[in-house]
Amino acid sequence: MVELRLPRNSTVTKGQHFPAPASAKNVRTFKVYRWTPDDDKNPAMDTYDIDLDHIGPMVLDALIHIKNDVDPTLTFRRSCREGICGSCAMNIDGENTLACLKPIDSMTGDILINPLPHMPIVKDLVSNLDGAYAQLRSIEPWMKSDSAPPPDGERLQSPEERAKLDGMWECILCFCCTTSCPSYWWNGDRYLGPATLLAAYRWIADTRDEDTGERLDSLEDTFKLYACRTIMNCTQTCPKGLNPAKAIGRIKELQVERKL
Amino acid sequence: MSATSSPSRGAYRIVDHAYDVVVVGAGGSGLRATLGMGAAGLSTACVTKVFPTRSHTVAAQGGIGASLGNMAEDNWRWHMYDTVKGSDWLGDQDAIEFMCREAVPAVHELEHFGVPFSRTEAGKIYQRPFGGHMSDYGKAPVPRACAAADRTGHAILHTLYQQCLKHNVEFFVEYFAVDLIMDDEGACRGVIAWCLDDGTIHRFNAKTVVLATGGYGRAWQSCTSAHTCTGDGGGMVMRAGLPTQDMEFVQFHPTGIYPAGCLLTEGCRGEGAYLTNAEGERFMERYAPTAKDLASRDVVSRAMTVEIKEGRGCGTKKDHIMMHLEHLGSDLLHERLPGIIETSRIFAGVDVTKEPVPVLPTVHYNMGGIPTNIHGEVVRPTEDNPDAVVPGLMAVGEAACVSVHGANRLGTNSLLDLIVFGRAAARRAAEIVKPTDFVKPLPAGAGEQALDRLDAMRYAKGGTRVSEMRERLQRDMQTHAAVFRTEDSLKEGCDKIRQIWSEKGDLSVADHSLIWNSDLMEAMEFENLLANATATLESGLLRHESRGAHARDDFPDRDDHEWMKHSVSWLDEKGDTKLTYRPVHMKTLTDEVEVFPPKKRVY
Amino acid sequence: MNASNTLHHTVRRSQLGRARGLGAAGSGPSHWIAERISAAALLPLSGWFVVQMFRLGGSSYEDVTAWGARPVNATMLLALVATSFYHAESGLQVIVDDYVHGKAHAPTKIAVKIGVYLVGLLGVVSVLKIALGRASSKS
Repeated sequence: MVELRLPRNSTVTKGQHFPAPASAKNVRTFKVYRWTPDDDKNPAMDTYDIDLDHIGPMVLDALIHIKNDVDPTLTFRRSCREGICGSCAMNIDGENTLACLKPIDSMTGDILINPLPHMPIVKDLVSNLDGAYAQLRSIEPWMKSDSAPPPDGERLQSPEERAKLDGMWECILCFCCTTSCPSYWWNGDRYLGPATLLAAYRWIADTRDEDTGERLDSLEDTFKLYACRTIMNCTQTCPKGLNPAKAIGRIKELQVERKL
Repeated sequence: MSATSSPSRGAYRIVDHAYDVVVVGAGGSGLRATLGMGAAGLSTACVTKVFPTRSHTVAAQGGIGASLGNMAEDNWRWHMYDTVKGSDWLGDQDAIEFMCREAVPAVHELEHFGVPFSRTEAGKIYQRPFGGHMSDYGKAPVPRACAAADRTGHAILHTLYQQCLKHNVEFFVEYFAVDLIMDDEGACRGVIAWCLDDGTIHRFNAKTVVLATGGYGRAWQSCTSAHTCTGDGGGMVMRAGLPTQDMEFVQFHPTGIYPAGCLLTEGCRGEGAYLTNAEGERFMERYAPTAKDLASRDVVSRAMTVEIKEGRGCGTKKDHIMMHLEHLGSDLLHERLPGIIETSRIFAGVDVTKEPVPVLPTVHYNMGGIPTNIHGEVVRPTEDNPDAVVPGLMAVGEAACVSVHGANRLGTNSLLDLIVFGRAAARRAAEIVKPTDFVKPLPAGAGEQALDRLDAMRYAKGGTRVSEMRERLQRDMQTHAAVFRTEDSLKEGCDKIRQIWSEKGDLSVADHSLIWNSDLMEAMEFENLLANATATLESGLLRHESRGAHARDDFPDRDDHEWMKHSVSWLDEKGDTKLTYRPVHMKTLTDEVEVFPPKKRVY
Repeated sequence: MNASNTLHHTVRRSQLGRARGLGAAGSGPSHWIAERISAAALLPLSGWFVVQMFRLGGSSYEDVTAWGARPVNATMLLALVATSFYHAESGLQVIVDDYVHGKAHAPTKIAVKIGVYLVGLLGVVSVLKIALGRASSKS
């Protein structure tokens, strides 16, 4: 039934405090979610007072500073540090976003850093995304075309046809949208979530793909697609400025179109 | 407490696997190889330390080079000439011929896989000009970079991942490869990897291992590379007693954002952007009268460095250069370079549709790597055979050195390298690996050494944090393996690196967990960085000439008589390097083109 | 979830197997269309009903039942009741989908359906009683 409170072993406790060096002038407090599978302790929020004068402008810079100079056990994913790989997706100050693109000075007060909501945690800020990856795979996100391509050239596509893919192919699979969606929190095992549905519509909209009907069939389900309640958190939170809600709307439109 | 409730206690859990092929790395080349091998019916596993679409190929922006001729007349021979010239005649011409000819079908194949390339009015793949790519053997810039807006790498990497899913390839995601398993005959028999998710150790027994681990840009303080670009393949190979090649050649990309270091594609200049110094002068006209801002990357980076050194840098510290895009107009920028607008806004606080963006040459690409032939097979040169192959081991992509980039890579040729040689390696594997053969049992005690190394590092109790040691290495490389180099500076660099080797035992690792222990992973990555960095400085110190990206103030000219050869560096476990040399292939693969003899390199 | 076994795999099925689940039920669009069409239909029906209620304000029992017995009014009332409960039912299904999980889900859905339709049926019978009851007393 409805879950109104966290299970007892998930209740977050108060963690360690790491004060800034005495010489620090421009100090900001970061509260970071910590949990390790190696002991039976509950998760905790550790507090780090960080001198902003000696680090870069982004939240990721602060996390890397903590790992390098304060507490090497802090664990998070990171790679490109320029917003294209999608590794450092996390919940910062209540909003799912990429730590590398989130300027520290865009927030006031203490900065709360949590893993992506409602996903199993592997350790600290590293969440387990296997379910989301499998959902992506389940919609068969690859080009399907029975007509042979030209043997010595590309398939033709007009700039207008190609423009239909804009706003979708740029998705970096960070799953900020999916994990911000209440409907996904409620029915994450049956609802595919905005990122996967955006990927599904990317192929439906591609004029080179010949599998539109089958793709629509495989989404025609009360949960897989229609559990979207147009809450729009996905579009609001997308760190790349994409609009998964619109893509979901377009899939529904096409299914209605072929029904009527 | 059980293994499930406290997974980092007790003995290591070891899981054995047997495959026809194990690919290490899931970037562009790794995925292309994996895909080809899977499609050829080989049992294939791809082991990767990050989820495939997080690999650094995703950050490639400008395009993939192929002489499709969609926008203007083009010819693969011109592309080959440009690449040979770009390599400053250090590239193997047979390999370059292979790459430039294969480029056209390889790019068409990518399109058939579904890459969302931008399109021309005629519906064909859109192409833009890029540095060093010229028509008619160096006459004028030609549009050759096949682009998906300014996110070509992203488009290609995601598409390759999709194709791998289509072929049901087995992925081992977030597994950190520790070491190769070699046998007494010097053949590679597999690889040991550590699963970050549950702390198990996996021993892959494979008929062929393919290293596709990328570059080691993170050996420098400022680079365009991702945090994960730590040269793990090079490290593993050198620990296995195999060499690396041409490690002194490190490309500085002219336009990394100042000071963040994030990349702004050369495609900016391909679309018409230009560089200015503090006086507002378009100084590239002086250094490269024909190609101007579209000269090859080493040329532009050196010109920028000279301008700054001579006091014509911009800003209060006179330490950077400006790139202008504002004259191109907001509409064109939004259509063709949307990512550049976004990156400049976020990381430089600049609206490029209105004002110039500050840039600086930034470490971008390692031309050197694990030496291979054109089939991707790793080469271990011997005295009588400079092309002797290591059985069971392949390398592709930035980790490898085929060598098609020689002393300097042209823009767009890296994505091309990934695809062409990933494909070639897959074809070769399909030829030499027989799925019906048994996978031979591993030698006794295989992988024990690797596990010992991991365990020792896990409990390292010295006085120096990994980050401290790494930062020291990065600072040294930034200073001594820079755009311009001298004997003194390189020597000092080598000494400092030797110092790091001698103090390596003082490392400390604070996290002893086996689950997602990124402190331990960074320590192991540091060892790989250090190995690669050592080879870079040591081979640079010995190369007494200026060629491509290796610019020596004390030897300003290219010396074809003495130095037209590949440096091959062999590193031992103490950090001492031995250098041998290997001839450049001055021959072509077919008689459809002739060898381009060395000449002066002017743009 | 059990505190001593928080780690790793209380579910052993492969993630892909879970993601594919029972496949697509082919449901969804019809419900989606019905929900919207019933919502659209309710706009004029409710408007008509509100206007009529104002007009009938203060009338006697006999006047109201006489009004309700007129075929046009009875039809409109039946349409209103049927559409309202149909719409309510499809809305409640969504709420059950969101908040009731596991074994309770299917029985709750059916119970809600039966409950809402029963109450709806009561509304329909009441309207019919007014409409038909008057007609029979006249003859």
